[in-house]
Parts: sequence; structure tokens; C-alpha cells
Amino acid sequence: MSDLTIVLALLPVLIIQFGLMIFALVDLIRNPRTVGPKWLWGIIIVIGNIIGPVLYFIFGRRNY
Amino acid sequence: MNQFGVLLKKEWREHVRNYKILWLPAVFVLFGIIEPVTQYFLPQIIESAGNLPEGAVFEFPTPEPEQVLVSVMGQYQFIGLIILILAYMGAVAGERRSGTATLLYVRPLSYPAYFLSKWVMAVSAGLASVWLGFLGAAYYIWLFFGDIAAGDFLQFAASYSLWIILFLTIVLTASAALPHQGLAAAVAMALVFAAQILDSLLGVYWTASPLKLPAYAQSWLAGAPDAGDFWWSSVLAVLLTLLFIGLGIWLSKRNAAQTKV
Repeated sequence: MSDLTIVLALLPVLIIQFGLMIFALVDLIRNPRTVGPKWLWGIIIVIGNIIGPVLYFIFGRRNY
Repeated sequence: MNQFGVLLKKEWREHVRNYKILWLPAVFVLFGIIEPVTQYFLPQIIESAGNLPEGAVFEFPTPEPEQVLVSVMGQYQFIGLIILILAYMGAVAGERRSGTATLLYVRPLSYPAYFLSKWVMAVSAGLASVWLGFLGAAYYIWLFFGDIAAGDFLQFAASYSLWIILFLTIVLTASAALPHQGLAAAVAMALVFAAQILDSLLGVYWTASPLKLPAYAQSWLAGAPDAGDFWWSSVLAVLLTLLFIGLGIWLSKRNAAQTKV
């Protein structure tokens, strides 16, 4: 299998993962009041690749 | 519009506003397609990770398509369930603490409509995520390993869905029963994992158990599970789901006074 097919196969994974991350970061920047410091959430979103944005959406936003 | 319709609309709006409607399916699809991709590229991954002595040769048997789908289910059984717990632990408990519930409880609220609106929304979102994840996984498995018969796949996913419905019902009931969402998550998790351990240790003595549904779902992929065992487990799962719904309605009514104003 050539390198190109590997890249094509990984493309959807990367798109969803980075999409989730960018979506979370944009929301973080626009969010006037997060639970806890913003810079910490920024690190969590970027470092914790799949779980990071999920943790932010569950615990970081004031959902109610 | 009737109360149930209004409340369901509220739940839908809430799912849209906290983006649950986006990230829940995204995460399940991601876990669904990462599994076949890593299994396929495992030789290359190990090679590039290095630390192998010169001339080391590994023979990797190519897994059967069905095996890969089963390991996707294995991912869902651990990470998937934790994510579902985190997503729905606050369904009732969080609403009470934040004060949203106060706005609802001061009105002549039908508690069956209240709890069922949450249940319908959680089950629809959960099942849609699981099915999208399985479909994404099946596409990659077809690409890399070969095809799985459509009938087998449907029976597999449908059996697993029964288990997910029961699981989400338990989470929502825990959320209605307890004063804090963290507590609800801990209790739901402890309850399900304790039951799973018990079922795997002593489960040889009984064959009909909702906890065995994932295992029976798996055996649809290789022939069929024992018909009696499977149907009894399904019936038990449905009965338990109904029981927990009833309990959830009663508890959300009884604990309404815990609301913070």
C-alpha cells in the first residue's frame, strides 16, 4: 500500500479530530465565562487529542 | 402542543446549544474508525516506533473483518460508556443545581413527560452516535479487511443497541435519584461495572442476562447466539429498562424539592 493511500485513509480521522479541536478552541475564545482558567482549557483541548475537547464541552462550559 | 412535545423541544435545543449533538457522534465515529485503521497499520506502527533488534521479524495474522468490528465494540464498552455517562450524568441532577429545574417545577409539570423527554432525547442521540460509529467502522473494515454480511451487521448493532438503551436509562435514573451529577456518574459507573464483574465471575450459572447482550451481539457475527438465551436476555433488558424508567419518573418527582433556587 502506497503512502498516498495511507494519507487518504487517515484523512477523515484527522478532519474529525482537528475539527473537534478547532470547534472547541473557537468556543473557548468566544466564551465569556468558563469554569476554571481559560489558558488551562486551551492546553487541555490541544494536548488531550480526542478526550480534551470532550472534557471542555462537559466540564468547561457553563451549560446551564 | 402537549407537554411532552414542548419538553422534547427543550431537550433538543439544549443538545444543540451545548453542542452535544455534534461532539457525541463525532467521538463515536472517531473511535469507530481509529480501531480498524490502527489494526491495519499495526506492522508499520511497530516498525516506526523502533526499539526492535536488527532483523526481528513479526508475523501479523490479518484479523477477520468480524474480529475488528468486535474490537470496536470493545472500545465502546469502555470509553464509549464512560463518555455516555459524562454526557448524561447531569440530565436531571445538573438541572436541579443550576436552577433550570426551578423554572420547570413551579409549573404544573407532568413528571412522566419530563423524564421521558430526557429519555427519548438521550436514547436517540446515543443510538445515533453508536450506529454512525459502527457504520464508519464497517466502511473502513470493508476497505481494509473484507466485507461483513449486512444481515449480520444489523443483528449485531440492534442487539448492542438494546444494551445501550438500558445503560442510558440507568444513567438517567441515577441522575434523577441523586443530588449531584458527579455522584450520579459515580453511582451509575459503580453499579454497571460491579454488575459486569459479577456477571463475568458468576455468569456461568445463568445465560439470560442483559449484561451478556454485547457478547450475544458478537455471536451474531459468527452464526447466531443460542435463540433462547438471546431472547430471554433481550426480554430482561426491555423489562429492566421499563423498570428504571418508572423508577426515574418517580424519583424525579420525589426529589423535586432538592432544587436550588
